[in-house]
Amino acid sequence: MSKTLSKDAGFFVSIYTILLRAYPREFRREYGSQMVLLLLDCQRDARTAAARRRLWLRTLVDLIFTAPREHLNNIRKENKFMRNLRSDLIAIGGCVFIIALALALLSYGRSHQVSSILFFGYVLDAIAFTGLVGNLIVFLLVKLTSLNPLRVALWTFLIVSIVPALAIVLIAGSDPTFNAASVVIGYVVSFLFWYGLHTLWSHKLKPSETT
Amino acid sequence: MKVPTRRPEEFLPLTPAMFHILLALADKERHGYHIMREVDERTSGSVKLGPGTLYGSIKRMMADGLIEELEERPDPELDDERRRYYRLTDFGFRVATAEAQRLEQMVRSARAKKLLPRAKAG
Repeated sequence: MSKTLSKDAGFFVSIYTILLRAYPREFRREYGSQMVLLLLDCQRDARTAAARRRLWLRTLVDLIFTAPREHLNNIRKENKFMRNLRSDLIAIGGCVFIIALALALLSYGRSHQVSSILFFGYVLDAIAFTGLVGNLIVFLLVKLTSLNPLRVALWTFLIVSIVPALAIVLIAGSDPTFNAASVVIGYVVSFLFWYGLHTLWSHKLKPSETT
Repeated sequence: MKVPTRRPEEFLPLTPAMFHILLALADKERHGYHIMREVDERTSGSVKLGPGTLYGSIKRMMADGLIEELEERPDPELDDERRRYYRLTDFGFRVATAEAQRLEQMVRSARAKKLLPRAKAG
């Protein structure tokens, strides 16, 4: 490392340092100094003027091909982030809409004593409750860990359906007007509904994830 | 470090540059210039990695968990402190092995079609 660079070699390194601006800023910050260091090492290896010329030509061609590629990769990364953000927003919006619809129907049915709505009262109750709690847990677990989203949905909705159904049956079981079967059916339907929705969603997402 | 949850086969085929870098790191950790020299010598000068190709590939392979940067330089006394050393991860080793097997299969097919002479026994 003791050998110093010739004047023309030093000039080329200076030019290359300027040309590095063709790469995205993030890439330049991370690897720019390493690339200059590499070029300096290569310059020291190139003993003849012809070897140095070949090195410069090769380095310039490499820059011409790889700088646009790094920009393209950045654009692809941004697109992926936007796609994920958009699908997250659609999923959250869809869940909020379903829960709000279930609650609104329930409220309307109760206030106007609409028997056709109240017939599904237990199911609507369960859909609203498991939807709110289950989806919140699934969303947090999927975003914070690398667990399989469908498996997370399966276990979360199983737990969020079984635990309240059992609690309600145990607490209100002694009440003669209490209909345990309807509560259980409500939570089973709710589980199937939400898990089915997550299964459909994950199948819909698969093709875009692989691109 | 990012733990890859994908199978090695999902990364295949590797680009020639990536495979050469993985091969260079298969036996020991190296810095960028060492990787470049190793590839140059192993291929008798037919493959020369430019700075953009080398560090672009390193960046992608680090993001995919195939290689990792060493926290400490192996020989700090003898070396330039600005150099960054890289090594193969266990997952990177599995990906390199899978790619080598894929290429071996291709060569076998080429032999079967008589595009290449048969390998000598033993």
